[in-house]
Amino acid sequence: MALGMLAAAQGVDPAQLLHPPADSWLTFHGDYSGRRHSSLKQITPENVAELKQIWSFRTGNQQIKASPILANGILYITTPDNIWAIDARTAKQLWHFQNPPNNAFHIGHRGAAIYKDTVYLTTPDCHLIALDAKDGTVKWDVVIADSAKGYWSTNAPLVVRNHVLVGVSGDFDNLPGQLKSVDADTGKTQWIFYSTLLPGMKEPAGAAEPASGGATGGQMWNTGTYDPELNLVFVGTGNPTPVLNGTMRPGDNPWTCSIVAVNPDTGKLAWGFQASPHDTHDWDAAEVPVLADAEFNGQPGKLLMQASRNGYFFVLDRTSGKSLLTVPFATVNWSKGIDAQGRPIPNPAKFPAKDGVLVAPNESGATNFRPPSFDPKTGLFIVSAQDGYGIYFFKPEHGAYGWAGADYGVAGRAFLRAIDYRTGKIVWNHPIGDGAGTAGVLTTDTGLTFSGDVSGNVMALHSSDGATLWHYNIGRSGNAPITYELDGKQVLLVGGGGSLYAFALP
Amino acid sequence: MQQTLWFAAAVVIALGVGLAQDSTDQAVNQGKAKGSKGTNAARGTNARGRGAPRDPTQSPASTPEPKTVTPQTYPAEQVQAGEQRFVAQCGFCHGRDAGGGETGPDLMRSELVAQDLRGDKIAPLLKQGRAGQGMPAFDLSDADVNAIVAFIHDQKTKSEALGGGRRSVDASDFATGDASAGRAYFNGAGGCSGCHSTTGDLEGIATRYRGLALLERMLYPTAGRPAPARPKATVTLASGETISGTLASQDEFTIVIRDASGDRQMFEKKLVQYKIDDPMSAHFDQLGKYTDADMHNVYAFLDTLK
Repeated sequence: MALGMLAAAQGVDPAQLLHPPADSWLTFHGDYSGRRHSSLKQITPENVAELKQIWSFRTGNQQIKASPILANGILYITTPDNIWAIDARTAKQLWHFQNPPNNAFHIGHRGAAIYKDTVYLTTPDCHLIALDAKDGTVKWDVVIADSAKGYWSTNAPLVVRNHVLVGVSGDFDNLPGQLKSVDADTGKTQWIFYSTLLPGMKEPAGAAEPASGGATGGQMWNTGTYDPELNLVFVGTGNPTPVLNGTMRPGDNPWTCSIVAVNPDTGKLAWGFQASPHDTHDWDAAEVPVLADAEFNGQPGKLLMQASRNGYFFVLDRTSGKSLLTVPFATVNWSKGIDAQGRPIPNPAKFPAKDGVLVAPNESGATNFRPPSFDPKTGLFIVSAQDGYGIYFFKPEHGAYGWAGADYGVAGRAFLRAIDYRTGKIVWNHPIGDGAGTAGVLTTDTGLTFSGDVSGNVMALHSSDGATLWHYNIGRSGNAPITYELDGKQVLLVGGGGSLYAFALP
Repeated sequence: MQQTLWFAAAVVIALGVGLAQDSTDQAVNQGKAKGSKGTNAARGTNARGRGAPRDPTQSPASTPEPKTVTPQTYPAEQVQAGEQRFVAQCGFCHGRDAGGGETGPDLMRSELVAQDLRGDKIAPLLKQGRAGQGMPAFDLSDADVNAIVAFIHDQKTKSEALGGGRRSVDASDFATGDASAGRAYFNGAGGCSGCHSTTGDLEGIATRYRGLALLERMLYPTAGRPAPARPKATVTLASGETISGTLASQDEFTIVIRDASGDRQMFEKKLVQYKIDDPMSAHFDQLGKYTDADMHNVYAFLDTLK
């Protein structure tokens, strides 16, 4: 513990986030690329079957849906209103901070962020709290959105230099989508990017003007990625509101269901790409915009890839936002084709209707919050996917506020699915049960894919063909596994239920 | 109809003897969708014998809102406290007003809520959850549980006074199909008559289910009466002995069979041969074949079976 405290006192230089050391996992995604691909090589396809649980840590609290972060030998794990600091060597709690009870939604929490000697926690009631990484004392506490209006936050902030980027959620009310940059040292707001605006709302200086056609929404609840060369942050935006009633918000409703590229110093929009123009099915494009520098069509490419909740896999040129590839990766029946800009064209026959329409995917989507992984060695983008169907209803009596309609999932099948990023072809498809998965994906350089099935098994698969090499039942997989090397030992860390489970070779 | 779950070739070479133990502590994931909740009900809650099958009137919005059996009132302060806890813990799925949210049912239409008296049914459900249907167990103090119960009943009292439903889907909304075209599809292209009979299992179905409940049951039945056909499973041990029964649960690694005596037996898949016939996979496949017109026509046809 003394060692841990000493190390923590050194702090995390934000420049370290550009090249995270092997004994760390400094951000929600592990690094800025969102690839969740580790270069660690101790655990291999040959020895992975020997993995043993080396410790577990019980929060005694709600489900862990967060990715832990690890800095200077201390793990930080969150649930709504809570963060724990754990000595990564002894699995002993160093401190625990609890936000006061509040009325906002407590559906889950994605994780913390770190900068120098400060750890950042968003709360359901939309506070951003800066805590001393050593002892958990509050340095400052600022409000990032008005939770009384219906905003809440599950967000794991993204730190870029001295910017702490935080997003919020808010689907049950007609609220503009906002991403806020907060000064890492002082908590002062630096800028706000609005993906949509309330009618008549004045945009703040520096923000791009979206012409959202009367839509609100487009919440940026997931953690973005960052390209230091382009100095652009890439974030996925959520669905428009009202959610199922599209009649009062004509047009494409930018920048809802979009990937946006924003300058982290100014909050200015560089470009936007709409994954679902005029969405009426709650299909956020908030899924991780994964970055890779890789060959595409014989040319070196600065790529951005997203497996989107609407069932399409997108590859974009991230310098411009121009589409390179749009291919379905799951069952879809809502589109009439792909337009010249690479966007699926919604079929009005599949808009929610009074007598109901049968739509694939269902509301929970072809994928969702579960982070995918890109393995640059195999060129495989591996995602927790669902083939599912739902029925969608809308009639004028449902109104134009919040959900404004009704929808019911019918059935779904869950898979881990490996997509060739060059073609969108499914290279392998590993069934993980009925419904939708809850676990994200981690890949490693030795050719391993770690994830979970719907029955609570943590699994190691062969990345090249999806064959199962190891499994261990923890009751429920909560989020993507992470890995790091500490004192010469590679550790696999998974959240399940209210606990963290650590695995290593004997 | 021979269908296999999960694997096209669900037969593995026998190597040894299966393990005979229970798997009740395996959590079943529900994802976020109402669909996954329903899907897993068949293989989660029912298969494990946890609680009664979901009553078909419990969530569908088209059925009348069940009346509170025993009217109850609660102090305003408790209702207020309950609202705070409810919104925070339950609101995302069930809606801030308990009238249905992003993933969970409208509690105003819940039979369990209608029958509840001062938490005798709601409190145990909160504490245990419904693993098979996506509802987690909540670790709440008795005071919080009681307050949430108070809020739900208070909302229900108000809702019964107002009538209607925020996210209602009425049986009359569905009156767009052509019953004769539906009959033709049922007996022809849809292949429904291969497993179902209008004078057998579906006789009088429209008297038991209306509106959304009937549509949901038609698309993918998960519970209710008659109970949807459960997958049949047969395991062959290395010794040649076979165990047959209904599939209680399975994952990639284990299979649990409820045998003729009602016992559940668990086997490690890699150590046995096994075969699963799941009639429900035909329903899943059909979801990819229906046009919306087919769906509405078959619904209209089933709605004539009174």
